[in-house]
Amino acid sequence: MKLLEIRGLSKSFGGVAALSGVSLDSFEGEALGMIGPNGSGKTTFVNIVSGHVRPDSGTLTLSGVSIAGLRPNQLAAEGLCRTYQAVRTFSNLTVQQNIDNAGLLLKQKGLGDAELRELAEWLRLDTSLDKDAGSLTLFEQRRLELMMRLVLKPKLIMLDEPVGGLAMAEVVEMIELLQQLKKRCSIFVIEHTMRVIRELADRVVVLIAGEKVADGPPSEILQNQRVIQEYLGTAHA
Amino acid sequence: MTNRNKLAVLVVTLCALALPFLTNDNRFLAFVVGMTFINVLWATGMNLMYGFVGLIPLMFAGIAGIAAYAMVYFTRTLEWSFWLAMPVATLLAAIVGVALGLPALRLKGFYFALCSLVIQSVLTLAFIFFPTFTNGDTGINQILPPDWFGGQLSLSSLEIVIAILAVSGVLLCAWLVRTDLGKRFIAVREDDILAESIGIKVVRTKIIGFFIVSVYAGVGGCFYAAYTGFISPRTFDVLVSLNIWLFVAFGGRGTILGPIIGTAILAPLPYLLQDIQAFKEIISGTLIIVVALAMPAGIYGAYLAARSRKPNRSMEARMQEQRV
Repeated sequence: MKLLEIRGLSKSFGGVAALSGVSLDSFEGEALGMIGPNGSGKTTFVNIVSGHVRPDSGTLTLSGVSIAGLRPNQLAAEGLCRTYQAVRTFSNLTVQQNIDNAGLLLKQKGLGDAELRELAEWLRLDTSLDKDAGSLTLFEQRRLELMMRLVLKPKLIMLDEPVGGLAMAEVVEMIELLQQLKKRCSIFVIEHTMRVIRELADRVVVLIAGEKVADGPPSEILQNQRVIQEYLGTAHA
Repeated sequence: MTNRNKLAVLVVTLCALALPFLTNDNRFLAFVVGMTFINVLWATGMNLMYGFVGLIPLMFAGIAGIAAYAMVYFTRTLEWSFWLAMPVATLLAAIVGVALGLPALRLKGFYFALCSLVIQSVLTLAFIFFPTFTNGDTGINQILPPDWFGGQLSLSSLEIVIAILAVSGVLLCAWLVRTDLGKRFIAVREDDILAESIGIKVVRTKIIGFFIVSVYAGVGGCFYAAYTGFISPRTFDVLVSLNIWLFVAFGGRGTILGPIIGTAILAPLPYLLQDIQAFKEIISGTLIIVVALAMPAGIYGAYLAARSRKPNRSMEARMQEQRV
């Protein structure tokens, strides 16, 4: 089943084209990766799809319904949510309060206590519920971000560099968590860490200077000559 | 509410209700207490916006003014009862306030404060330039106290009504911040972008907050007019907004008791220091600077922070039990 369908998405800031005519599809249960050099428009892409930025042109549909022009809170209600490149939690509030805030959207229709407990245990937040979110380690805050999104019962979570700033051992753990996350919802992930893309993504799109230059399974993309030349460099090849 | 908070609220309530009786023999002191209660109501409203939604509504006094002038118009010209005029005037002020605030509600932080400052200035000018309703710079005097079953409420009875109102305002605020709406307020204050991305309607939440704050401002404004008997554009100018904001910041924004403490200390000062006119501003100014430097989170905020820094044995003990 097609989940996200994007056609001809363009956005310019001043005279600079951040995205020009990007089209892509994502499917239910799929982990779709996006890679590209710095400034290639990856975050702009997520900002547009998640309703933070208005596109200049292009159409967006989620499960066949147009989501163009919806605000982030409306998209969250439609089942599309995101995390941020720089970790973002309510740092002065406790972990429990952070989770409660995410629960305000669905209220009774949301997750039950047992499901919440199961989620918190899975993300190993169950022992930190009384702590201030700002006092957690980066990795813990990343897991809290995931928890807050899962409370929204999303169809699709867009992750903007989920392992950014994590130590190597934590990256390995995070990849494991994200692999388990695939059973709960579809994933869209931006990453510079190729290991995440290789081990997690079912399919990868490559963005260079705001244009989609490749789309396919990771094994194929990571061998693509243009991708190697313009982004990966020969050391990776 | 924690037990400690409940106890504190109870003590404040008892004091509030007892004070008008205790000060009844001394009209001057009674007036100071009455004014302090009106300011407690105002500060609680200001705190709801500044302390919980995270926006500084500097048009606060202007909105109070709209309600006060409207109330006077309704009671004098249309000869309504105060008890009808007050809620209608408050509602009117809240609607005008929200409408004026709409462009500002997409802003945050410093920019919101600036925009609200401009709105406040415009309102003050409006009070001067529409003398049909406001009697211009001269102001309106001899405003009667609220009517009461054919007669009029005596000043000391009015003080009790104001005290009850202030306590209700505080209790309403304490209840409100614990509801889902209160959680949304706090989420917006902490990080509005994150709040929106987890499904919170940020603009709507701000508007609701703004409406409630305007109601606090309006009710306070109507009672201020009826209690002091005199209003003028200066009664509701930007300095008044800043003063109310100061009570909140001084006592501890984002707490229930903080604004009460701040108001109880700062609001009576100008009256009590009246005899040493020359030092009045210096004393209150110094007090404010000292608190701002030593306790940026306000008096009660600093107290809460100090308490949470102390190793909390009972908490550790509880965690031990859980592990066992």
